[in-house]
Amino acid sequence: MGPTLNNVLKFTDLPRMVASRWGDSLEIKIDQERQLIQITCDPEVLQDLCQWLFYRQGYSLATLIAEEAPPEWVMRYILYGDTGNGQVHVLTRFPLSRTKVPSISPAIHAADWQEREIEDLFGLSFEGHPKLGDFILHEDWPEGASPMRTAFDASRLHPRQESGPPWRPEMIVKTPGAFMMPVGPVYSDTAESAHFLLETVGEDVVRTIPKFFYKYRGVEKIAEGMPADHALLLAERFSGSSAFAHSLAFCQALEAICKIQAPPRARALRVLLAEMERLRHHTAAVAGICSSTALAVAASQTSIIEEDLLRLTCRLAGHRYFFGLNTPGGLARDLPDGECKKASEAAWIVLDKLKELHEMLRFTSSFLDRLEEVGSVSRKKAVAYGLVGPVARASGVSRDLRVAQPYAGYGQQTKFQVPREAEGDGYARLRVLFAEAEQSVNLIHQVASTLPAGPVRTAAAPTEGCALGWAEAPRGAAFHWLRTDGSGNIRRYRVMPPSFVNWHGFHLAAEEFAFQDFPIIMATFGLSNAECDR
Amino acid sequence: MTETGSLLLTFFIVCGLGVFTGGLPGNEKHAACVSIIGSVASLALLTASGIVLLSGRAFSMALWALPLFGKMMLGMDRMSALFLFITGMVFLPVSIFSAGYLKRYTGRYSLKSFAVFYFLLFASIALTLMAMDVLSFVIGWEAMSLLGYLLVNYEHEQADTTRSGMVMLLMSEAGTLAVILAFVILARTTGDMGFASLRAGAVHLGAVAGWFVFLLSFFGFGVKAGLVPVNSWLPMAHPVAPGNVSAILSGVILNLGIYGIVRINADILPIAGTGQGLVVLLIGTLSALVGILYATPEDDMKKMLAHSSIENMGIVTAGLGAGFVFLTSGHPVPAGLAFIAALYHMTNHSLYKALLFLGAGSVDMQVGSRHMQGLGGLIRRMPWTALFFLVGALSIAALPPFNGFVSEWLTLQTLLQCAVLPSKAVKITFALCGAGLALTAALAVTCFVKAFAMNFLGKERSEKAAKAAEAAPSMTISMGILAVACFLFGILPTYVIPAMDRVVQPYVHVSAVDQLVPPFFTVGRGNDKFDRTFVADFHKLGAQVGSRVLPGRGLVIMHRGGKRNPVIFAMSPAYTVAVLLLLLGGTFLIIRLLTRRRSLTHGPAWSGGLGRLPPEMTYSATGFSNPVRVIFRGIFRPVTVRDARETVANHFRSAIRKDQLEIHMIDRLFGKPIVHYGRRLAERLGRMHSGRVNAYAAYVLAALLAVLLIQGLA
Amino acid sequence: MLKWVRKGLRAGIKTTGYPHTRESAPGISPGRPAAMLCDGPQEAGAVAGRCPTGALSNQGNMIRVDHRRCVHCGRCRQDHEHAMAWEGGYEWAGGRKAPGEMAAAFSRSLHIRILDAGACGACLSEIKQISSPYYNIHRLGFFITPTPRTADVLLVAGPLTDPMRLPLERCYAAMPDPKRVVAVGACAVSGGIFGPSFAAAAGISQCVPVDIEIPGCPPPPLALLHALLMVAGKTKQT
Repeated sequence: MGPTLNNVLKFTDLPRMVASRWGDSLEIKIDQERQLIQITCDPEVLQDLCQWLFYRQGYSLATLIAEEAPPEWVMRYILYGDTGNGQVHVLTRFPLSRTKVPSISPAIHAADWQEREIEDLFGLSFEGHPKLGDFILHEDWPEGASPMRTAFDASRLHPRQESGPPWRPEMIVKTPGAFMMPVGPVYSDTAESAHFLLETVGEDVVRTIPKFFYKYRGVEKIAEGMPADHALLLAERFSGSSAFAHSLAFCQALEAICKIQAPPRARALRVLLAEMERLRHHTAAVAGICSSTALAVAASQTSIIEEDLLRLTCRLAGHRYFFGLNTPGGLARDLPDGECKKASEAAWIVLDKLKELHEMLRFTSSFLDRLEEVGSVSRKKAVAYGLVGPVARASGVSRDLRVAQPYAGYGQQTKFQVPREAEGDGYARLRVLFAEAEQSVNLIHQVASTLPAGPVRTAAAPTEGCALGWAEAPRGAAFHWLRTDGSGNIRRYRVMPPSFVNWHGFHLAAEEFAFQDFPIIMATFGLSNAECDR
Repeated sequence: MTETGSLLLTFFIVCGLGVFTGGLPGNEKHAACVSIIGSVASLALLTASGIVLLSGRAFSMALWALPLFGKMMLGMDRMSALFLFITGMVFLPVSIFSAGYLKRYTGRYSLKSFAVFYFLLFASIALTLMAMDVLSFVIGWEAMSLLGYLLVNYEHEQADTTRSGMVMLLMSEAGTLAVILAFVILARTTGDMGFASLRAGAVHLGAVAGWFVFLLSFFGFGVKAGLVPVNSWLPMAHPVAPGNVSAILSGVILNLGIYGIVRINADILPIAGTGQGLVVLLIGTLSALVGILYATPEDDMKKMLAHSSIENMGIVTAGLGAGFVFLTSGHPVPAGLAFIAALYHMTNHSLYKALLFLGAGSVDMQVGSRHMQGLGGLIRRMPWTALFFLVGALSIAALPPFNGFVSEWLTLQTLLQCAVLPSKAVKITFALCGAGLALTAALAVTCFVKAFAMNFLGKERSEKAAKAAEAAPSMTISMGILAVACFLFGILPTYVIPAMDRVVQPYVHVSAVDQLVPPFFTVGRGNDKFDRTFVADFHKLGAQVGSRVLPGRGLVIMHRGGKRNPVIFAMSPAYTVAVLLLLLGGTFLIIRLLTRRRSLTHGPAWSGGLGRLPPEMTYSATGFSNPVRVIFRGIFRPVTVRDARETVANHFRSAIRKDQLEIHMIDRLFGKPIVHYGRRLAERLGRMHSGRVNAYAAYVLAALLAVLLIQGLA
Repeated sequence: MLKWVRKGLRAGIKTTGYPHTRESAPGISPGRPAAMLCDGPQEAGAVAGRCPTGALSNQGNMIRVDHRRCVHCGRCRQDHEHAMAWEGGYEWAGGRKAPGEMAAAFSRSLHIRILDAGACGACLSEIKQISSPYYNIHRLGFFITPTPRTADVLLVAGPLTDPMRLPLERCYAAMPDPKRVVAVGACAVSGGIFGPSFAAAAGISQCVPVDIEIPGCPPPPLALLHALLMVAGKTKQT
């Protein structure tokens, strides 16, 4: 599964192609070791360049980073390619006094929410973006206060406008009798807080207007100035259900800054733990789908498996949700080989149970009726919205960071497949979940049986610098970008979680289906608001 | 001249006075005049018809004799009296209502002409119902149709009003033509045009001619009653008519169609074959279903009420049809039951539909919109209107203790009597019609839950609704009168049914009243209808409660199957109310006792943790009725005219437009082809107009030859 | 459908015996640091200093643990010379009011409403588990109710992010008296690692009166059960 010749050629060719297209206005740096091309360009060519990379060269948008580096703004657009294609960082700079940035979202819709986020938090305005306004900060947040600016005091609660006007988005369904159905933010079960307005004429949801960030904890802001290992707590705990993947991405970013690598045993164990987390997450997602279709026995049986996995994790790692395990340079603690073997055996048993469940679900017509051809996302839309993870893979986009940008112990030593389905409906997403769970157990077994000996931690000295860390979290690609100062404190932290990206595309699936399908479609997406809101 | 005659004379004089004062100059006092004079006229009519209805002393009076047409006769038998009584019951509150309602037209439209038309219409309706010969009937009928058209067309400055008026007039005239043809066939065997001689002569009419009379008259009167497939004018006319005129249109004028059907098919030429009865039954059931199906998703309140009128007229017609079938199969008692049920339902419909139209008119006047989309929350602004509208909605949704329940219950029970009928096919038809009417009743509940909730509950969905004020006292009082009537007709059926029974007795020749209102109180005094054990059982259940104080037969109505299905359904709406009140009061007391020491806190409704909900975030009328629209998609057959998604910058949507066009099923099935082929025919005929003189001369010659040929053959 | 009934029956009974018997299956709880004596004040200070959230403090040789702030990062027991000992167990809930105030309001059944005030997902996942077969709160007469109008207990997780303040206030106001509020997890108890900041408060007690606190990051399902039993007056206060 190594880089193919074609891809290698593309990566080495890319600087030349870019230069020939946009001439000398660009400054191109190549970092062969990290497979990274850094292009600095004028704001004017930004949209063209990104569009060319995204649509013509097949690069995906990882994240957008705005950075205040007096006397100028630095906007960093990170794109990543398939195996061997490395990453492209497009940088553009302009003076701090300027607050207008050309928008790339008319060309790359995947950047839509990211630009809105930066607009809201930095006070920058994206020219050509048709829909700016309250996004992360709700209507009672005073206009003009930009919390991500360095001058903003993040330690105290910011005073709110007392009586802001109620949130009343414009209705775009122009049909007599159309109205909005409010859902949330407090649901009738244990669902996470988020608010939806469903525009409808009665039966079918015609348009979904989501309002997230009820859970915005300002992780990126409060991390600023923290020592790195303290910020690690934030990275680990902003999304408890995918803690290991996010702490892994964070630690890898720090390791890249310090130019160290975790020892082989730690890298292998990281794979084992990350796959266990994926297995647990996918089991929980299946339980969610079963209970959303009111299939009580299946939901109960799946939640039994979930609790079994939680207990297994606790026995193995000392915590039910993998908290406190990752650390810059490796793992905080070694895990005994015997325990890993036991865990791998337990995972096999879990897989058997999941397979039995899948087999039964496949022949439960009342269940399939609620999933098949419900909540479909086409491949084209999935690409345009830059969807990630199982959701994208169910729509035929098989990009997986474990293969595209190998990290930790993924890559040469481990063998696995990236499941893919073409239909893009709820059932395809369910099948992807089951197939990925199987691959995870496979990986756990491979790692547990070939664990290298040795230490699990490399010492890291505080270094100044910036780097991107990434991991394929259970819900999809997660990116953590860090800039540290000389004493190892965080200067800028940027997290791009998969839930943020996939919630952006959620409306594609939820529209044109009946009300009662809405919670089911939500369950098949299996997203987390905590992860999205940060 | 009898007291009835003098009262009727008073009525016509008062109407004349109304026309006269209407002609006086000045525009301010007309509303009050209409109100006072109209009330006096209604009271006169109510008394006159009431006397006939109770005493049974028919009244008749010969006017003039005209050459060719014979004597013009006016008269009032019990059937006429019943219809006149209903007319009075509707006109009285509507007249009072007009005092406040007409103020909305001051300065915009002439109140003078309204007054003139109003009283002329009132008089012409009375004339139609009292006519005892063809000529007076046709004069009254035609005058009523024209005046109805003029009043519907009152807001003549609106373009759609004029168009709707034209459709109404056109269909009405087609109906009149058919009715006249029917009369012509009837009159063939007699030289005289009096109803009495027609009745006598009808015996000699052949079966084919009988069918012709039936079809022509049923079509002609069906137009007036708004039955399918000639119902299109009704939902067009109602929304454009003033509120008080709508009440009369639905509460009185539709009844005239039923009157015509009863007068011809039960009285003058009693229906002879089961087939004709079945046609009536099926058309009735279809009208009921189609009416309610289109009423439920309707957003325009008055259009919705109009569709619902079609539904109710359908139920009445179905009852009549069932009666005809029973009668022709030799079962006069169930036939009597069916006619009683039908007439009772018609009476109830007049009351609650007038009430609902007045309610809709009040809302329209106070808010300025009939569209439920923009209403809501009016219970806080117009509490009395809301209360009375609720009574109307409960009545029309056939929920006890209001009147609609009793008559729909009777109609359905009567249809279940089909076990006595010999033919399997007929039985099946009855069962299917019963199921259809049951579905109708269920949809009616949906429809009027929506109507009340969307108008009066929830949030105000428009500025105007938020600023509305209660209607004028004259308007609320008139609605109150109707609401009380709805309640009384609902809890005292044992007093209404005997009166109805006497109305239908001349046509079925037996009394069905013992079947419906059992003489339980006469036990031991020669009650041979029921054996003693049966009566004793009912006594144990308390059926005789109140027998010592009540003047009538008690308060229990009953429906009993024949020997083949000896199932008995008995109930007493009056006792039900008493028990319900006791239970409610008891529950209230118990709750008070239990929670004596607890404090009560009032909080805002739980809305998922949100702050204020803007009105566009509450359920809309369309949304509420959309499931019906989806389930019956095959009937509504919506055509998507536009399904557009407008986007900016590729993926950002700026508008989703979805417009659907629905053509009423009847228009789609009947109207469109008629218009289409009519046009084609006109085109063909148009070719004859070549403009050449010799061609026209040839036409004249051909016509002459044809006439001569026909004469020669005859 | 029959196959599902069979599957359910075949799975047997998984439910814990708690509170009648102690549950001791491995992996039900991560445990937490226990107060301990060190050799000297300096060592105690060094151990306490390792805590990133200030949950540990030393008085002389003694290290005290403020469980309300502990986020289970495990740094106090990681390969250092003086690793802190962790204790097992899960009966962690503690009342903020006198025992007399809590008693007797609910004795038969409890209806529970859950509110997410910015939780990371781990607390909510544990809350979900309490109605799964392993813990099955229904057998104890506890039910999750869809609306606060019928709720007796409000379980709140998360540090209370600012946009959730109004929903929390409304939810609390919509509950009928008598009512109890349970703060679930370190975030809801003390703000955890997120609050106080510009976006989140230092726990939910800044908005609604908290009756019972369950420390832990996240508190395991049995700790939640313990808190609910406490509300129902079926357990002694710890």
